[in-house]
Amino acid sequence: MTSLPDLSGLNARGRWPPPDGPRVAIVGSRRPSPYGEAVAEQLAAELARAGVIVVSGLALGCDAAAHRGALIGGGVTVAVMGTGVDIVYPAAHFRLAEEILAAGGALVSQFPNGTSPRRHNFPARNLTMAALSHAVVVVEAVQGSGALITAEAALDLHKEVMAVPGSIFSPLSVGTHALIRDGAGLVQNARDILAALGVGREVLDDPLKPPKRLGFELPGERDGILIHLSDVLTVSAAELARKLHLPISEVLGRLTSLELDGAVRRHGAGYVRALRRAKERA
Amino acid sequence: MLATVDSCVLVGLEARRVEVQADSANGQSKFYLVGLAATSVKEARERVRSAIKNSGLAFPGKRLTVNLAPAEMRKTGTALDLAMAVAIALAETGGRVPERSAFLGELALDGAVRHVDGVLVAARCLKKLGYERLFVPAADAEEAALVEGLEIVPCGSVAEVVAHLRGGEQIAAQPFTEVPLESSTDVLEHDLAEVHGQEEARRAIEVAAAGGHHLLLSGPPGSGKTMLARCLPGILPPLELAEAFDVAQVRSLLGDLLPGRPIDWSRPFRAPHHGISMAGLIGGGSGYASPGEISRANHGVLFLDELAEFQANVLQALRQPLETGRVTITRSGGSVTYPALFTLVAATNPCPCGWLGDPVRTCRCTPAVVDAYQRRLSGPLLDRIDLQVGVRRVPLSQLASEPRGEASGVVRERVLAARARQLARQGCLNAQLRPSRLRNLAALEPGSRLTLERWSERKGLTARGFHRAWRVARTAADLEASELIADRHVLEALGYRLHDVAA
Repeated sequence: MTSLPDLSGLNARGRWPPPDGPRVAIVGSRRPSPYGEAVAEQLAAELARAGVIVVSGLALGCDAAAHRGALIGGGVTVAVMGTGVDIVYPAAHFRLAEEILAAGGALVSQFPNGTSPRRHNFPARNLTMAALSHAVVVVEAVQGSGALITAEAALDLHKEVMAVPGSIFSPLSVGTHALIRDGAGLVQNARDILAALGVGREVLDDPLKPPKRLGFELPGERDGILIHLSDVLTVSAAELARKLHLPISEVLGRLTSLELDGAVRRHGAGYVRALRRAKERA
Repeated sequence: MLATVDSCVLVGLEARRVEVQADSANGQSKFYLVGLAATSVKEARERVRSAIKNSGLAFPGKRLTVNLAPAEMRKTGTALDLAMAVAIALAETGGRVPERSAFLGELALDGAVRHVDGVLVAARCLKKLGYERLFVPAADAEEAALVEGLEIVPCGSVAEVVAHLRGGEQIAAQPFTEVPLESSTDVLEHDLAEVHGQEEARRAIEVAAAGGHHLLLSGPPGSGKTMLARCLPGILPPLELAEAFDVAQVRSLLGDLLPGRPIDWSRPFRAPHHGISMAGLIGGGSGYASPGEISRANHGVLFLDELAEFQANVLQALRQPLETGRVTITRSGGSVTYPALFTLVAATNPCPCGWLGDPVRTCRCTPAVVDAYQRRLSGPLLDRIDLQVGVRRVPLSQLASEPRGEASGVVRERVLAARARQLARQGCLNAQLRPSRLRNLAALEPGSRLTLERWSERKGLTARGFHRAWRVARTAADLEASELIADRHVLEALGYRLHDVAA
């Protein structure tokens, strides 16, 4: 294990140091399943709402979903970067980075300005992420994933490590299941994380109650589609048309309408149910 | 003595008149060919000399000069052979060709007149230039006789032609080629009834056919993208006469007309391999450019399988033709313009390994690789493709249980009705509507306008994307024979927008 970077010497853009409060790193695959992405976003939103600062790495996939979720939850989020803070990588996250700053968050990096993305810098960044957080939550990770490096570093630093279970058929959950087997806390909702942190704040979700219906008001005729959609596996419009005995043009229209309301999302050639969002993004 | 005979050379889809003058004068026995002849024309000297000699005619044993006028125009091809031979024969023995006659044909050494490319194009243009009679190779007479009001003389050999001109045995003119009526009993090679499942893609093909929209199919290997694309010609209406003529002209230039069936009513379907060069796809070559695949696909379908594997610059070159329906190519000889009004159907894998988003197999590509792959497609080209749908693989075991869809014939009825509505309303297909005309011809109900605006606000549509969805909504409404564009039409149209979402 390499030595920890000097946290006081971090470069930062935005509000740094962040406001007081518990900090939780949410990390995971850069290529999550729709499930992983949704989980990262939802956990982050609920944590943010409970006043937790969400830390992640500004990478594709779970990282971006976590930052986005924190913003949706109206919270502060910190992006720990593997490049200089003046270089947003991947460039596609330029807007996300701006939104993080606008919401009172920060971009931080142990690397000097002008450092471009280098493969060997990212594991070091993962250590920093662990060091900055009180707990690390791994959402989805294949074996050998960078998210597991963060988890390992967190263990070395005696931080709480937690993981989100998934399907036993999904290679993306092999890493998280291994963590759970080795003693990581199992995360079913934000309350699990808050309990592990010892923060007894109130959150929106009650683990003992089944999940409420989607938080959207939907005109009746589109509801029929939602029952046939899954939040893990994609379903194609053609399959829906067959199940509902509706013409495909009608189904496509309804799906678009639901998508417009944020209730479904397109993923590849199919659709998934978007997980509940308490507040629609502006 | 001097003799003058007319012929022409082709520049793209236009013919330029060439006057072939032959003069035999006293002097050393020599054959001069002047008038900016390219190599293929210079070689005519040898062919013409042998052909005349072997036809039992006398070749002038004097100083022979053949001039191709206008001398500043570069001449290529072998179609001038016949005119040269006739001019030389007449210069030796005297005699004139009838007024307003032109000659086309390549010669064999034994004096036979051989096929040349582009006779149909030449005949049409020469008719316009005021010619009344055209001597063509016998093999091409049927093709030339498609042009009404032009006397076509089929030529078997130089000897026959010279005899005809000197008032000897006359060659019977080729009768006007009756355009065969469309045979409605054609059995479709690819019928939509053979496609199991894939309702979304089927519907997209129907919309593409109805509105003339370009279509992108994205899906893993073996999901039936090619099969679906090949079904498209089967649900399109047959060519109109004018369109069939356009198609025949391009084929004629390339020497690609079917013997005995110069006019073909079925829509062209061209599927070039992704290794194709710029010149092959767009058109090109030395001198004057010859037509490429996009012009062969005129009034039909251009299918580009594995779109991301095409060279980037080749794909970029598609932008102008996609926008304007024609292509202008400049080469050393000058510029030519060819028609290129086609429906583009493109197919692609979602990522290099092909399995991204597949419910069963896992994609093994890194995000950066997927990104780079999709970026090759994105941008201006995709912006011009109205319909983008994902195609899912149907597992082999389920294939039989997937419902069969309607047959092509049924779908075609709806497509024909929708196209008729569009032509009656605006004189063109919806895909060709400019934004200004869209506003007039495709009024949105307040509710559907709001939906479109909400979507573009949410998803950040470009102006072009906005109009694209609008045009597709117009077609969806036309398929329902509805003059108003309702909310559901806009919503359906927005459902065919794979790549806005990925971005």
